[in-house]
This record gives sequence, structure tokens and C-alpha cells, in this order.
Amino acid sequence: MNTIDIKINERSLKVLPGITILQACRDNGIDILTMCHLKGLSDVGACRLCLVEIEGINKLLSACTTRVASNMVIRTDTEKIKRYQRITTELFFAERNHVCSVCVANGNCELQELGYKVGMDHIRYPFLFPECKVDTSHQYFVMDHNRCIMCTRCVRACSEVEGAFNWDVKNRGFQVRVISDFDTPWGESITCTSCGKCLQACPTGALWSKDVVQGQLEKHPEMITELVEKRKLLLT
Amino acid sequence: MVNEDRRQILISPVTRIEGHAKITIRLDDHGEVDEALFHVNEFRGFEKFCEGRLYTEMPIITPRICGICPVSHSIASVKACEMIQGIQPAYAGNILRRLIHIGQNISSHALSFFHLSSPDFLLGYDSDPVNRNILGLAEKFPDIALKGIRLRKFGQEISQRITGKKIHISGIAPGGMAFPLLEENRLALLNWIPEAKETVQLGLSIIKKFHEENAEMVNSFAVSPTLYLGTVGPQGEHELYDGKLRFIDENGNILQDQLDPKRYLEFIAERSVSWSYLKYPYYKPLGYEKGFYRVGPLARLNVASKMKTPLAQLEFENFKNIAGGRPIHGTFYYHYARLIEALSSVEEAEILLNDPEITSDHIQTHGKWNYTEGIGCSEAPRGTLFHHYITDESGKLLKVNLLIATGQNNPGMNKSITEVAKQYVNGNDIKEGMLNRVESTIRCYDPCLSCSTHAIGAMPLQVEVMNANGQIIQRIERG
Ligand code: SF4
Ligand code: FES
Repeated sequence: MNTIDIKINERSLKVLPGITILQACRDNGIDILTMCHLKGLSDVGACRLCLVEIEGINKLLSACTTRVASNMVIRTDTEKIKRYQRITTELFFAERNHVCSVCVANGNCELQELGYKVGMDHIRYPFLFPECKVDTSHQYFVMDHNRCIMCTRCVRACSEVEGAFNWDVKNRGFQVRVISDFDTPWGESITCTSCGKCLQACPTGALWSKDVVQGQLEKHPEMITELVEKRKLLLT
Repeated sequence: MVNEDRRQILISPVTRIEGHAKITIRLDDHGEVDEALFHVNEFRGFEKFCEGRLYTEMPIITPRICGICPVSHSIASVKACEMIQGIQPAYAGNILRRLIHIGQNISSHALSFFHLSSPDFLLGYDSDPVNRNILGLAEKFPDIALKGIRLRKFGQEISQRITGKKIHISGIAPGGMAFPLLEENRLALLNWIPEAKETVQLGLSIIKKFHEENAEMVNSFAVSPTLYLGTVGPQGEHELYDGKLRFIDENGNILQDQLDPKRYLEFIAERSVSWSYLKYPYYKPLGYEKGFYRVGPLARLNVASKMKTPLAQLEFENFKNIAGGRPIHGTFYYHYARLIEALSSVEEAEILLNDPEITSDHIQTHGKWNYTEGIGCSEAPRGTLFHHYITDESGKLLKVNLLIATGQNNPGMNKSITEVAKQYVNGNDIKEGMLNRVESTIRCYDPCLSCSTHAIGAMPLQVEVMNANGQIIQRIERG
């Protein structure tokens, strides 16, 4: 098989051409923080956590959306990257109203784990305290915009795996919101199949099922990956 | 019209931790105490910011109201949720919740008595405030201090062993509990019972000795009569977790009995006052002037016909004899009542831990939204607590009403402080020890404000004598 030579953190590696830097890292056991990436879904580079430094390019690029090229020299572990990751994480928390102590996902949340990983002990930015809705209109599920970080994993799981296209995104900047159908209450959606894949895909407590309480929430984002893998098997 | 001669004395804590309170003592034209007001300026807006959320989040959000009685909030909340869903909790889940609730009661009462109040009894009210705390106690009576600390730990150990957390526990869920009790944890807790019983008995002997030696003070300390509200079981027995409400008047006549807590609004009304964020609740049928009532340990023992457990029953009989079977109004007896409750809690914990179902795995029933209204009630260490939710048809909260114990005791607390102030304040002349007496009045009620539970050192207080123009003519400070 054709391979190309790249270097990540001083390690010389042979990788398949056309894969993303993120995949090259994962395949070779190199740790890299991600949030909007979920294996099996397309990548959109929304969260900016997987930033890497590439020799010859003077800006940081997202590993999930940048493909490897021959002789690329990549760094994933510089002080600059760590600083940016911490800033990004703090901004997630400052942008909406995340109150872990009373969240269903407390102790079971990718965002919370990220906070620990980057060593976030306080937030240096002013909180925006936006007025966010909690959509309880669905028979089984809740969407709490206070806790959403706009990774759009739910949007992609819904369109790419379930094929329902219930979720989408409206507005720009900090006013961006996930919407159901044409911004109607989720309970009135004519496209939602109530499959619950978006809940599994969601890394935070933004999407959850009405029948769980704190301590009982379990999320299995890897389920989405498995579904995609199994479908591939069916097609071959 | 503003009277120029009317003076105000303001007592306010200097250190603010989380909640804060201040006391104004108003003097009349002759410089005599007119009335005292205990201000609660803390407004955390819980009722408001819960609106718009799903009702099942309340058992997790509301315990954050208080670090000492979070379990009572969870319990009142899950009961309200169960009413919304129309379900009954699973038997084992329900007794586990009862056990955790008892644990909280033990640790809260142990904190109130051993950490906060017993230094007054053992070291003396007029001893140096610097040492009049649990550390000073540990120096002079290391054995008692250690036992007190361990009793509190036992209470916390109960929730730790069931939920893995000492405070702000999770797992108390509509329909029961999310976590079972493991056999090894059951045995560990059971082993602790004899020591806990002994410590409570020690506390009882301390308070009874203090009563004997200071009978005059105890029996004249904030003794004005009020009505009482508390929860009772089907036979009128003392109850903390589940039961019906009983109101009695100042002579012990039963005004209401076996009242379903869901009907609380028919009997309790609230009045907002300009000087405090706490609303002033009163017994509706008698109106605002005559209807103020007290809740908490003293109230619960006053309303109860008997205790559920043998040792507590013996003590209860002693308690009842003090006033010849009539209600005891002396605010000082809150301490005694608290210890009797702690004793019954330890005994009940033993009974529950021996229930063969306590380690069962069937701990939760499951429901979904069915009704738009839910009301839940439980006895917090400081008194009866109500949670009342109204939802829309998707379970979203439209309205939240929380009636907390400290709020219900507020009118009574003002009355008690007024009485004490009358004894110790005369015009510009504030007698030495007055701060201590006011502080100890507040301690009797053990209100859930952080400043009142300041465990190390004296309660930070500031007294200001002010005339009607707001000029300070005298100030005493204790930081
Ligand atoms: S709801 Fe969850 S999955 Fe969807 S965008 Fe927000 S955080 Fe991501
Ligand atoms: S994981 Fe690459 S930008 Fe989010």
C-alpha cells in the first residue's frame, strides 16, 4: 500500500495519503483533544480544540479537517496549542449557562472532562449569560440550549446516520442556535423519528432523555460510530 | 411621620460568606426596645430561575439552596415530582431515602448542638468569644468535642455509604433511589449505632445539666407563646420524612390534624414585608396578627403525641412534663428538642438498617409526566418544608413556590429577639453580653443562613445605635 512520510512531535511516521492529521494521530496513539469530531460523522472543524502547528504554515489548523501531505512536520503538544485549548474551553463555559452541579450530565460529560484535562480552574472571560430556552416539548427528550456548545454532532448524526434532517443551525456568531425543523418546538417536528441518536452524539447535558435524573445519565457516542461501521459492512 | 427621637440599633454581621443577615432593634420615644427585626437580605432567586426548566431537574437544583439540609429539599422535590407523575416510590427506595434523610437530620442536629451551641453551655456565655467554639471546646473537653464531631460524621456517613457523597448527594430520584445500599455498607453503618446513641445521650446530659443550673434563664428566655406546625404519623407520632400536618395553638389544642400537605395553601398564607426578602407566613384561619406559628424541633415535639422509638419516648415524656403536657414555648428548649429528635433518628436508623428490604435492588419505580401540579413536603432539620410546582403539558415548570423552614420561623424569631433585646438593651446603654444573648437566640432557631452556622468563632455581629436621622450614636462591633 502507498504511504507517505510525515513527522508528528518529532516522530517519523508512515501514513496513508488522504487521511486527516487527526486520524494519523489516533492511529499512532498520539493524544489529541477533540469535541466536535465523532468518528463516523463528517468533520466540520467547529470546536477548534484539535489545533496543530504545521511547519511552514503560520496559523494553527484543525487536525480533524486537515489532510496529511508528504513530509508534513506537525506538532500537537506545544505551549501555544495548550494555551489555545484552554482559552477555547473557557470560552465554551463563558458563552452559555453551564452549571455542572445541577446538570444531568454531571460526572458524565465530555465538556466537563475537557475542563479537567486542560486544567481549567477558573474562567477569565466575562460570562455572557444569554437567555436560552429549554425545549421540553418532545415526548421523550429535552433540548437545553444553555448547555449546548454548537459542536453540531447532533445535527450530523441526525442527517448523516438517521437521515431524518430534524436538526439544523440558525444565526451566526454567539447567536447561533441548533433548531428543530424550521425553528419549531421539537415536539412539533414532522421529521424527528424519536430515534435518540442525537442524545447519544451530544457531548454535554444539552440533549437528554426525560426519564433520567442526575447520576443516571449514560451517553454512548461510540454507538454512532458502530452503526456507521456496521452499515459499511452491509454494503460490502 | 418620622419621630426624631426614635432610635435604631442595627446588628449586622461583618463577615459575609454566603447568606447574610442583620438585626435592627428599634427603640421607642423613651429609648426602650420597641421591636426587633431579623433581616434576611439574601435573595438567590431559586423560584424564578427554575421556571422554564423540566420538573425532574428540581430534585438536583433545589438542594443547592442549603448546604446543611440539601436532602430535605431533594425529598420534598421528589415527592412533588411523584405527584406530577402519579406514582408511588418503590419500597426499598423509599426507606433508603428515609434513611438518608435521617442521616442529614443527625448531622445537622449534631452540628447545631455540638459545634455551634455546646461551647456556650460548657464554656459559658460570657467566656471569651475567641475560644467559645468547637476548637475551644476541643481544648477543654476534647472527649466531648471529638464525640460531637463523630456524631456529625455518622450522619454524613449514611449518605456517603448510600450515594458515595456526603453533601449534595445525587441519586434521590422520583420513584425512589438511583443507588442501592450494599450489604457491607449496611453493616458498617449498623456498627456505628451504639456509639451514635451514646453521644446523643451525652448531649442530652449536657443540656439537662445546663437546664438545672440555669433554670431561671432557660425558663425566661424568649418564652412568648405561638402556634406550632409539624408533621405527624397516623397516630400523631413524631415524624420527619412522611406524614400529615398538625397545627396546635399555644395551649396545645389541635387546630388541624392529619392535614394532607397538598392542602398547605388553604392553611398557610404569606405576607411580604419591606425589610426582608423572606416572606412572613402565618396560619391563615387566624389571620396575620394571631396566626404566627413556629416550626422545627421544638414545634415537632410540641405537636407530637408520642415518639416512634423507646429511648426517645422516655426523653419525650420528660420533655412533656416540663410544661405539664402543654406546649413548651421557651425558645431555649429548641436545643433539648433537637437532641430528642437526634436520639429518635439514631434509633430509627437502626430499625431501618435491620429491615431485610433495605439492600434490595428494586429501588425505583418509573413514571412520566401526567399532571400539571405537584406538591411535596418534608421536615427539614429546621422545620416543615414545602415544594410546589406547576408545569405545562410537557413538564416545563411554569411556577415554583418554595416555603422554607427559616421563613416560617422568621416571625417567631423576631418576637424572640425582641424579647431578649428588651431584657438586655436600654436606650443607648447596651449591656455587655447582649450580643451573645441575641446570637444565642438566633442559634436556638438554627436558621439556615451561612452566617448563623459560622462554626469557628463567634457570629460576626455589629451593633449600631442610630437615631431617626440615620446618625450613628454608638457602635459595637465584633468581627
Ligand atoms: S445539542 Fe449537543 S450535540 Fe448538538 S450542537 Fe449542542 S452540544 Fe453539540
Ligand atoms: S475536533 Fe477538530 S475542530 Fe473540533
